[in-house]
Amino acid sequence: MIVRELIEKIEGEAELDFTFNEGKIEDVRISFAFYRGIEEILVGKDARDALVITPRVCGICNHAHLIAAVKTIENGYENAGLKVELSNKAKAIREFTLSCELMQNHMTWFYMTILPQLEKLLGEASGENHALKASYFSSTITKAMSIFAGQWPHSSYAVPGGVTCDPTYVDVMQAENLVDESIRFYEEMVIGMPIDKYLEIDSNAFLYDLDGDLARVLQLIGMNEMADIGQSHDRFIAFGDSTLFKAGKSMKTRVYSVDANYVEESVQQGTVAKAVTYKHKLYEVGPLARAMVSKEPMVKRLHKCYKDSILTRVFARVHEVALLLSHSKELLQNLRLDEPSCSLGKELIVPDFEGVGAVEAARGSLIHKTTVKEGLIENYEIIVPTQWNLSHGDDRENGIAIEAMVGSSSTEEATFIFRTFDVCSVCTAQ
Amino acid sequence: MTSQTSYKPKLLWLQSITCNGNTHSFLNHPDLASILSHFELVYHPVLETPFDIEEMARGELECDILILEGSFREEGFTRGRVEVSKILEAYAKKAKHIISAGTCATFGGIFKEYDPENISGFCFNVEERTERYEMYASKLISLPGCPIHPKWLSYVLLMMLKDKHIPIDELHRPQELYGITVHTGCARNEYFEWKIDTKGFGLKEGCLFYEQGCQGPYTRGSCNKILWNDTSSKTIVGTPCFGCTEPSFPKTALFSTKTNMGIPATMPLGVPRRAYLTATGIAKSFKIKRLEERIITYDS
Repeated sequence: MIVRELIEKIEGEAELDFTFNEGKIEDVRISFAFYRGIEEILVGKDARDALVITPRVCGICNHAHLIAAVKTIENGYENAGLKVELSNKAKAIREFTLSCELMQNHMTWFYMTILPQLEKLLGEASGENHALKASYFSSTITKAMSIFAGQWPHSSYAVPGGVTCDPTYVDVMQAENLVDESIRFYEEMVIGMPIDKYLEIDSNAFLYDLDGDLARVLQLIGMNEMADIGQSHDRFIAFGDSTLFKAGKSMKTRVYSVDANYVEESVQQGTVAKAVTYKHKLYEVGPLARAMVSKEPMVKRLHKCYKDSILTRVFARVHEVALLLSHSKELLQNLRLDEPSCSLGKELIVPDFEGVGAVEAARGSLIHKTTVKEGLIENYEIIVPTQWNLSHGDDRENGIAIEAMVGSSSTEEATFIFRTFDVCSVCTAQ
Repeated sequence: MTSQTSYKPKLLWLQSITCNGNTHSFLNHPDLASILSHFELVYHPVLETPFDIEEMARGELECDILILEGSFREEGFTRGRVEVSKILEAYAKKAKHIISAGTCATFGGIFKEYDPENISGFCFNVEERTERYEMYASKLISLPGCPIHPKWLSYVLLMMLKDKHIPIDELHRPQELYGITVHTGCARNEYFEWKIDTKGFGLKEGCLFYEQGCQGPYTRGSCNKILWNDTSSKTIVGTPCFGCTEPSFPKTALFSTKTNMGIPATMPLGVPRRAYLTATGIAKSFKIKRLEERIITYDS
């Protein structure tokens, strides 16, 4: 029996065809209907136009596209023999603004998707307007980011060699205040304890000490015997290197190094989304993958008990906000404003190059690749996180999200599992 | 009016070919809760609503204000398994007001470039009126911008709520928002006055109009009057304006200024070339030392 479901409010929509056998889901087909052609739109444009066009792939992870695009150009310049050295200030500001985008995404997903959908699934409505909490956190943290990036969504403030902003301490102090306010919100609403105390927790028993909305979600999952569902292949990969996240792949208990050149894209039947593999294997990307690769203790401990289940996946994403909040504060505190914002002069143009750039976007590794001839884009490829998680798979094994849904006995539960991957339709069908 | 306090206008947000940037921009409105409290949200692409996408796609819901996001094609783009052009027709007829939110919905925007023959804005194809124009012009407000500014949208929504007249221009843009240019209020205006260009990216000093491609002086919009995220704007942080509110968005070579004999090829909005050249000649004949120097020096 095949049941077809249209999934919405995932930054667009997707069709899921569930094949049931004896009351359990045996297979799922995921399809996205419309292709917008951003890669084709870029062809023939000036290389730096990618800094303006690629953010428009996605209204929620636009900033990650900007950072991937600028890294791609810088990598291309280096490949063409030009040394690109970013000041620590430029690196820290880029990392700060990208962190802010990740945080707004995670809290938006938590409050606008996970909490309401879980309540709906379990018939446990709280009557609270979760969306307004998301909006409060999101508008606060994107304001902090806009002090440097000018605006969110759709900033283009990162340029080859650095950033366009030239902040003063007036700016830095305002941004710190906004991060403090975001921390206050997170402590009060999400975890119900001071963040420093939270980050010192060293056993899974903490689940009982937590208060706030994260505790509510974990308890709802636990009490309804959902803690073990949604397990997949337990293989993880991350490409974007930053001071917080390491690049690598995690299998079993070990972490190995990775090289973005082994990433392969292929066309899939019945959908406009392409599949992505690393050395012909599927991997999960996203906050859980980052935590596994970086060996983040709290997530690792939870993973030991619950593997790559929805419990671990949901926790990893919300937990990442705590890490990003304290990291952001540190970045701002250590910012040295006497350093240059941008190290490349305006007269400089490298006409021919090939470049690759990877960043950790909210949903996982985002990779851009380009070939530029005589200053114009000849080819542009964008590989987005959701492609990794939603690939169909092959004869040997199911795709990551499909494997997670297989075995479930209802489309409602399977759909919730699907949403724990924080699916982004617009990115997937760029 | 007393009736307004009890009746909440029904708001329906319909997405077509989009990146969701307008949706997320609006969700970051600092006063979202109080704005939404005046309306009944019948359908929204992200927020919880009483009806799902398939119910919405049948075209049978009630709708007073229709917000459109994304560019359009007559065939080949569905929401809830129904062609958007069909859904659109159903609600555009019913609605008292239609807001085209963002440059895609208004003029076609970036996504038009993939298939320029078939993709356009709702009532305009770049600047040209589409077939729908005659039918819906009387209720149309255009809010171009890539993305839309959240406060531009809330201004329009609250004006509609209070039954107030919104003065518009020939492209149906509210004059209060688009009667000025992005240059208005730019923190770098003094450098523009004295024709001092910036020495590169990453500096708070200097104007971005002469070399960095800034389109602020000829782009309609209030980005430097009603700040982004309540705090900043592109030009404040040293990024050129890319003209994202204009029907021509996106142009190419966005980080460099096209020039003729060293003079920007496009003049500030409404300024005759001769007037500009005269003013420039005078400004450039003086050297203003203060404006050539850095504003702050930090001891390293």
